[in-house]
Amino acid sequence: MYRKQVRRRRAILALLILGSFALLTITYGQGSNGLQRGVSTIFSPVQSAADRALKPARDLVNWFDKTFDARGENAKLHGEVETLRKEAVAQKSAIAENDQLRKILGLDKSVIPSGYEEVTGRVIARSPSIWYADVTIDVGSGDGVGVGDPVINGDGLVGSVSAVTGGSAQVALIADGSSAVSAKVVPNGIQGLIRPEVGEPGVLILDFINSAKHVHKGQDVVTAGWRAQEISSGYPPNIPIGEVTKASILEQEAQQQVRVRPFADLSNIDIIQVLTGGSRG
Amino acid sequence: MILTGKILARVVVVVILGVILQLSFFSQVALFHVSPDVLPALVACFGLLGGTMSGAVAGFSVGLLLDCLLIAPLGGGSLVLLATGYLAGAYRERFGLPHRFAAPLLCAGLTFFAELGFGAVQAMLGELNSSVSAFVIEDMLVKSAFAFFLGWPIYAGLRRLLRPALVEEPRPRRRPTAVGI
Repeated sequence: MYRKQVRRRRAILALLILGSFALLTITYGQGSNGLQRGVSTIFSPVQSAADRALKPARDLVNWFDKTFDARGENAKLHGEVETLRKEAVAQKSAIAENDQLRKILGLDKSVIPSGYEEVTGRVIARSPSIWYADVTIDVGSGDGVGVGDPVINGDGLVGSVSAVTGGSAQVALIADGSSAVSAKVVPNGIQGLIRPEVGEPGVLILDFINSAKHVHKGQDVVTAGWRAQEISSGYPPNIPIGEVTKASILEQEAQQQVRVRPFADLSNIDIIQVLTGGSRG
Repeated sequence: MILTGKILARVVVVVILGVILQLSFFSQVALFHVSPDVLPALVACFGLLGGTMSGAVAGFSVGLLLDCLLIAPLGGGSLVLLATGYLAGAYRERFGLPHRFAAPLLCAGLTFFAELGFGAVQAMLGELNSSVSAFVIEDMLVKSAFAFFLGWPIYAGLRRLLRPALVEEPRPRRRPTAVGI
């Protein structure tokens, strides 16, 4: 009797392990499958409702976290405020001039390239493990979203769509271990590949810089959006990615890389825009 | 664990509620820049209360639902969490019901194990193409600390919820203390 029970237990355990490996083998690289589409269709409304209902509680917890940070940053920011105030006065006149020029040129949505349409969505789930920088959003193929579509928010590039179901999609953030974005430094145009440092969503690495010119701290990095005959980058050009924070000459010459801080706060994303209808490289 | 229809319904509700709470709340909040992960602790508590099979099946189910809702390759989460549940269950079968600090300590230890497992699965799938920061270790340790504190209420709540189904060994009786002679 006891032996039979042990044998049955072992069989179930073996079945579960084999099942896991079989699922991995069958579904890896597929994007999404029938089971996921079905479960996602059932749970998307529940997740959306839970997301909205839990937002005040999330904000409260995040407020505590930010308050701890803010206390440390307070002194540093006092100094910066004075410098920025001077700069702001000069920039106000530049912004007014820029707005006028944009209106003249009709470039109010200059970040979003022609041929793309924006689909606005909300983050409804986030991967619990630090190894995966993925979020699930509440728009999917039913809204025109497709695999490979770039995703941005008000600050800059966030990532790209890696899998899609009818009413939701998975976005691999630029901090995800599998992410690589061709990018260029402005204004000097040095090109490289933006890759993450897994575990630190606030740090990106501009890798494979191969240029006689040097990158400097404070310069901005945008998507390169290259095109060569039939193939092209999955990202349109000139979407802001981040700002160079560390650019030692030694690191650039020895390792061909510099450190970049993403403009988008990748650990706290709420509203995003998917750029649909592009080349989907 | 003695499974009846009513108990199974409770287990399903706990699993679904746990995964939705994790994705919609815990994964999106940060304390000390780290988001808590309650799922390994939840699975460990299933194992501690029900043994190896309950832990493994609960882990497999939680992992499968997690992968479905994250639209991730199926099987990775299941594999890691079924091992987590199985190990917790093996502790239960070897040493009996955990004592006061054992449950939260096991939740913390198994959360660390599960986080390592998630990293191993990602490496196995060839999705880890970038350099890994030392911050990953810090994140896993802080997650384990959160699991220690969250493991306590999870274990107590789950034990209360599944009490009719649990096979609890009788605790050794205390010897009566002699009062005077």
